[in-house]
Amino acid sequence: MRYRVEHRTTYTYDDDVTDSLGIAYLVPRQLPWQQVTDYRVAVTPTPGDTASDEDFYGNHLTYFQVIEPHRELAIVGSGEVDVVAPLVDARRLDQPWDAVLPLRQPGLPGAWLATDLVLPSPAVPTYPGAKEYAAHSLLPGRPVGEAVTDLMHRIHADFEYDATATTVTSTVPEILAKRAGVCQDFAHFTLSCLRSHGLAARYVSGYLATEPPPGKERVVGADASHAWAAVWLGDEEWLAFDPTNDQWQNDRYVTVAWGRDYGDVPPVKGVIFTEARHSKLDVSVDVAPL
Amino acid sequence: MPVLKEYVAALSQPTLGTEATRYDEVVAPDGVLRPPWKRLAAVASGIGAGELSRVDEQIVRFLADDGVTYSRPGERPTAWRLDPVPLVVDAGSWREVEVGLAQRAELLNALLVDLYGERTLLRDGIVPAAAVLAHPGFTRIMAYGSRNDPRPLVTTATDLGRDATGAWRVLGDRAQAPSGLGYALENRKVLSRVLPELYREADLHRMAPYLWAFRSALLQSAHGELPDPRVVVLTPGTHSETAYDQAALASNLGFPLVQGSDLTVRDGWVLMKALGRLERVDVILRRVDAAWSDPLELRGDSQLGVAGLAEAVRRSRVRVVNGLGAGVLENPALLAYAPAVCEHLLGESLRLPTVPTWWCGDPDALAHVLDRLDSLAVRSIEGGPPLDGRPEILRRRILAAPHRFVAQERLPLSQAPTWTGGRTTGQAAPRPVSVRAFTVRYGSSYRTLLGGLGNVLQDGRTVASKDVWVLKAETGEPDQGLAEVMPVSSGRSLPATVPRVLEDMFWVGRYAERAEDLLRLLLAAHVLVEDYRSRPRTSGGLSLEVITGLIGRLSGRASDDYDEEFRSLLLDPERPGSVAQSLEALRDALSGVRDQWSSDVWRIFGVVDRAQSTLVGSPGSHQMAESAGRMLTGVLSLAGVTANMIRDPGWHMISVGRYLERGQQVRHLLVALTERHGLDVDREVLAAVLAAAESSVTHRRRYRDYVRPAGVLDLLLKDPENPRSLGFSVARATEHLAALPASTGSTRPERLLAALTTEVEETDVAVLVAIGGADRPNLRSFLDTAGAQLDRLAEAVADLHFATGPAPRRFGSLPTLEPVP
Repeated sequence: MRYRVEHRTTYTYDDDVTDSLGIAYLVPRQLPWQQVTDYRVAVTPTPGDTASDEDFYGNHLTYFQVIEPHRELAIVGSGEVDVVAPLVDARRLDQPWDAVLPLRQPGLPGAWLATDLVLPSPAVPTYPGAKEYAAHSLLPGRPVGEAVTDLMHRIHADFEYDATATTVTSTVPEILAKRAGVCQDFAHFTLSCLRSHGLAARYVSGYLATEPPPGKERVVGADASHAWAAVWLGDEEWLAFDPTNDQWQNDRYVTVAWGRDYGDVPPVKGVIFTEARHSKLDVSVDVAPL
Repeated sequence: MPVLKEYVAALSQPTLGTEATRYDEVVAPDGVLRPPWKRLAAVASGIGAGELSRVDEQIVRFLADDGVTYSRPGERPTAWRLDPVPLVVDAGSWREVEVGLAQRAELLNALLVDLYGERTLLRDGIVPAAAVLAHPGFTRIMAYGSRNDPRPLVTTATDLGRDATGAWRVLGDRAQAPSGLGYALENRKVLSRVLPELYREADLHRMAPYLWAFRSALLQSAHGELPDPRVVVLTPGTHSETAYDQAALASNLGFPLVQGSDLTVRDGWVLMKALGRLERVDVILRRVDAAWSDPLELRGDSQLGVAGLAEAVRRSRVRVVNGLGAGVLENPALLAYAPAVCEHLLGESLRLPTVPTWWCGDPDALAHVLDRLDSLAVRSIEGGPPLDGRPEILRRRILAAPHRFVAQERLPLSQAPTWTGGRTTGQAAPRPVSVRAFTVRYGSSYRTLLGGLGNVLQDGRTVASKDVWVLKAETGEPDQGLAEVMPVSSGRSLPATVPRVLEDMFWVGRYAERAEDLLRLLLAAHVLVEDYRSRPRTSGGLSLEVITGLIGRLSGRASDDYDEEFRSLLLDPERPGSVAQSLEALRDALSGVRDQWSSDVWRIFGVVDRAQSTLVGSPGSHQMAESAGRMLTGVLSLAGVTANMIRDPGWHMISVGRYLERGQQVRHLLVALTERHGLDVDREVLAAVLAAAESSVTHRRRYRDYVRPAGVLDLLLKDPENPRSLGFSVARATEHLAALPASTGSTRPERLLAALTTEVEETDVAVLVAIGGADRPNLRSFLDTAGAQLDRLAEAVADLHFATGPAPRRFGSLPTLEPVP
């Protein structure tokens, strides 16, 4: 599938901001199953300084600084992406999940790189509750594809999607206690489940193209940024799956960036210098099939 | 008996055999002095307990006079402790350290390059990936492919100890912002003063050439070929644990001490806010931990860092020493792999052995550790002291996350004589010691300081420091082995132009004046107390009430008992408006700009602290006056220090603060004249006001003994020749303000001052003294107006000269706007 993506973030302030420094993770990764073309990040007012770089995980990031006084800052990432469903080697999915644990088998090819995604991270600490929850799916010797898919089904069934249940800073114990949250919370909880059993798992940030209900027009800008998870299968093979929607990643998922958790790859983060007391945030995402 | 002889004798007693496994720094097992002490024996054996005790007291006083402090996290600063007995090491024994640490620094540099670059160590399994990646010092934002710095490490510190055989062992490395060099310099300064004969006899390596090498290493670490790179020392501020160390190092190197708010990033360059201009900074000697260094990419809630710093570093537009990723080297898990890493990266075997260490993430190491839990020291890879707890509790903690722990052999560290006890019971007792040693990159290799910071340990905690004397191999050998010594200018290389520095200077002036004026008022009041405390209804008693009322308006009233009340004003730093509080605030303001001062400034507090502790020890009215007098002497000595300062904006700002405060204080005194209490009472009050304003003598010369309100007002309000008058204060404030670079002649503070000057000049004393009932309404309204004007003036000075702009906020951290209907 081919999509045209536009992700617009606008901050409005009630007084002048004299200095804004920001970092945006908005440009999707080039991947075997994903071709990115004509992608750009535009900031208004025009930054006096901007740079792009590739981070520790190979994600594309945009750095910018605006020193012209402003009351509105808009960051727009837009471009076109061609996606197919990622292919996952069936033999790897059939390995027992407890045979691909980087800390236990550090000699496995690629294990040293995957190690970073087994260890607890700021937003995904080890949590006994998550370990216990996952143990019902991660039965000894069970094939990793089957075990992880089972975990995904259970989370989808047990947890409610509720935008009011959590905040950006909700912790894994809070999510488990409420059994509710948004895609970011589903992803963080899933990571906590997998990592507490020694599996390497990463947080994936991107978009999911929504299909309009039958007979309805697609509503422009009604989409949102999305997050899901991927588990390590050895070497450089990963299985990406979406506990929020109970499915493996397919050709309707645009992968922007990945890391240990949300904190590594927020679409936009930054620092402002201002006497302003209030701000307003508007986010709109549009993923239009071409 | 001489202390040294006694120490030797005591060690040979079999009763002290419990410590027999330790290597003694002074005495060999056969009871003979070791070589370095043999050399010193002639002088050292002449030192008796009485003398060493006196030396110990002198050290305490010198350290207090220099304001040397250390604070443990979350605690108030405490006095730095220096043991009078140096740790003396001969050239041969230190050579092992010197060569070993030079290699180690090379190794740490190579490690840093590899961990943030190709990561061959992790890829090839020489260091387990989890041992590195689980450490918070591994800074992922410094591990982008785009960044590749071949020489990231400029300076290192390594803690060393000797094992039972006397061989040096590495206990741990400090790499991200090593502290201790400033303390080591101070230790040397003090010890060379209190033990001059021993110091001369020792023929040891002086530290100055190392500082010169350090300074040149920082200058040369700048990117590009800059003729005159600007170097700053970035401190978290006066409340940091090692604030003294940072300031001492900055001032010894001659580089300015700055805080995060003094710096800003533009177009990827780091700039210093200096008097309305922005000046480029090329090198930052960092004493802020990496996590707090950049609110954009690291901890977003940090107010200590500089937003955009990491990006400036990645673009090689500023050099941070040591780099933001260097904290990863402090991970004790790396100690377990040091020999293999050395072979892999340098192709050499490791010279200086490390204390045996096991990383629990390795299954074999874990099994070994669990077997020996009762004898090993277990610690987190994040650092800190060994964990307490019974073996089964430790076992559970380790097994929950083995990769987060290391276990280390408990070394019986060497022992050295350490002074304990007082004048009569004092003796040199053996105590375990460790040494923090330092290296700096010099030219193409690393150079080890011939010296260091010794630590005296008790139950694993540092209880005192020691100066480390490395003796020269032969007479005439150049200090630090550096033949060409260029003196480091120890003066200030930077004019005080940073807004925060100006602000601290302003408050130095204000608090010093405030403390001085209240002390004078207290002393004037004390005279009345002595005369009239038992005669409340007399005119004297009433005048006492008026004067204590003045004090009450400044600091409230805590007690009805005068002695109690005055003691509290002198001693209680928590009491708003008290002398003690002003002095505490003065100390804070001075600390914030410590690099701007000669160390003489800290004598103020040496004098004040001693006067205060005398008063604590012996209460009583007489001692109150005595102590207040000595505190006044201490405060007045600040003028002696400022008299010798460069006339830069900072110096002018001290005076602006001082004269604005003096104006407020004299105005406040004159409030006593606005009410009339009868001729006799008023005469006493006028006399006390004159005394408090240090103008009694002048008044007597001019008006004989005839004290009238008009004369007093003329002298204290208008007289342009009287340094204590409002008119004089306003005139001096005007001059000093005009000398500041941001002043144009028409800035708001200057306009406000001009208006006040006119008001003072044009006011007529005859009108002010006019009576309306029991009051002098004209005087009251004049004083009220002047007070308000002085307040506005101080605000205007702050707005114009100190403003550094708002603090950094994260995107989205401001409260959400209500949707507009």
